[in-house]
Amino acid sequence: MVVAWATLRRSWLVTRRAYPWTYFVGNLLLGVLTMGLAYLGLRVLGGGEVGAEFREKSGTGDYLAYIAVGAAALMFVKHCILWTGKAMIQEQREGTMGALIVAPARRLPYLAGFSMFSFTAVALEVAVLFGCATLLGVRLAPTGWGDGLLAVAGLALAVFGMSVVLSNVMIVAGEAHITQNSVFYAIAVLSGFTFPRPYLPEALQWLGEVVPVTAAMDVVRGVFNAGTGVDPGRLAATLLIGLLYTTAGFLAMPWAERRAMERSY
Amino acid sequence: MIETHDLRKRFAAKTAVDGLNLVVPQGRVTGLLGLNGAGKTTTIKILATLLRQTEGTVRIGGLDPVRQPHAVRKRINLIAGGERMVYARMTGRENLWYFGQLYDIPSRVLKPRIDELLDLVGLTDAAGTRVERYSRGMTQRLSIARGLVNDPDYLLLDEPTLGLDAPIARDLRKVVAELARGGKAVLLTSHYLAEVEQLCEHVYVIGDGRHLAEGTPAELITQTGCHRTVRVEVSGLTPEVEAAALAFDPAVRVDSAAGVVELSRPGDVAGALTMAIVAAGGTLTGLEIAEPSLEDAILALNDRSAVAMAQVAR
Repeated sequence: MVVAWATLRRSWLVTRRAYPWTYFVGNLLLGVLTMGLAYLGLRVLGGGEVGAEFREKSGTGDYLAYIAVGAAALMFVKHCILWTGKAMIQEQREGTMGALIVAPARRLPYLAGFSMFSFTAVALEVAVLFGCATLLGVRLAPTGWGDGLLAVAGLALAVFGMSVVLSNVMIVAGEAHITQNSVFYAIAVLSGFTFPRPYLPEALQWLGEVVPVTAAMDVVRGVFNAGTGVDPGRLAATLLIGLLYTTAGFLAMPWAERRAMERSY
Repeated sequence: MIETHDLRKRFAAKTAVDGLNLVVPQGRVTGLLGLNGAGKTTTIKILATLLRQTEGTVRIGGLDPVRQPHAVRKRINLIAGGERMVYARMTGRENLWYFGQLYDIPSRVLKPRIDELLDLVGLTDAAGTRVERYSRGMTQRLSIARGLVNDPDYLLLDEPTLGLDAPIARDLRKVVAELARGGKAVLLTSHYLAEVEQLCEHVYVIGDGRHLAEGTPAELITQTGCHRTVRVEVSGLTPEVEAAALAFDPAVRVDSAAGVVELSRPGDVAGALTMAIVAAGGTLTGLEIAEPSLEDAILALNDRSAVAMAQVAR
């Protein structure tokens, strides 16, 4: 935990110094824009109502709440990937990867420190987004605090596992931009963040199952939108695939780090 | 002790290290020399657990870096002059604090150690300044402090004084010598051969990843048979004196206008050459003997290796 806390503190110091306050304002405005566009779309195109098909496929008729939860979850996932998944390639770019690898600190607490920071950083943005949603009349009613915590914890584990694997891909490829954006687009389409997955062709729905956040989002939707509570099967799938990604990522990490060091030759 | 046996490292396009056997005992500074591309940095990075050898074994304090990297990393550190290895947006003190956490050093030990290290590298006044505002030399000094933050038993120094001002480089050399005297094993690569001659009791010379020679700096110079250059200044350098000098050794170079006779030979020829000049009627006005340097020895070893490789290729 010493390394995790130290890394959290380091991330806070660096972020505060690296980015001007306008960066945070820009991120906060994303929440305002997302809810504003959803509201306009619902009013202009849907006349303030969603169709029966959407109700059937999403399990809710509250479109704005559906968008608010999906947008908040996507922010959460993107932040974790941008901080945790890119941590090692940032070290590589800054010329500190060698010093980090030579130190005996384990990668789990190190990356957990980045995840803790990203969860903290996204909290404010999510709060602004839900504030806008509330002003537009959205009332989130999770099926219980325990259910809510389980759903968020499941999503956190799923995205942590993805971040560990992506970290390896990025340092081996020596590239972050294409990797992260490909993943962002893929999960936005496949994982149920922006529209109900049953709208997708069946093959793509199955493809979505290999992404850890897909099952996690089903749990989140059940708790925060559909009112059906935690689906034990989907929660088990979240834990299984999340742990699988996390374990595989950490097992491959020493190899990925060596490949990254060798790329400079 | 650091030991390597038949160490090899192949990359896709080349063999960077080719069968190296090194012994780096505690209590002394061991040098690893060679021209650019000789395999020095690759060797150091293997020892630092950053790279894994293709073949051969490494033992550091009896530990295998491949099987026990975590245990090895607790006992080593690396200072690389060509790389920054510190965080630009953190201050000097924050950097040392963060690396102290990565080594799990208790606060009661870490705080005074950070002060000592900042003092050692002359950064006490700049401890609260962000590294991005440091000069290159200051950043390098902080990187040195980072390399000492865990008080390593085995210190790997890859061009540690690169870019440092002379006084700081001198202080660092003192520190390295003290660390070795205190029982640490230090492996040093440096392009500043005077630094190597001053610090290293034992030197390995490598070329194209292969062992070329080893010994003390003086032994290496002797082994390579590098030439001493004798320069004799003669008043009244007559044709008879010139003829006598050339008769002594046809390799003699005579500059009649400047009144200088020069001869480069492996052995000590100064006495015999001056005797021959005096016997021919010359009057000596000056005598200089330029001893061969470690640099001469390294270049000679490398040239021989290149010739040998060319013969093998033919």
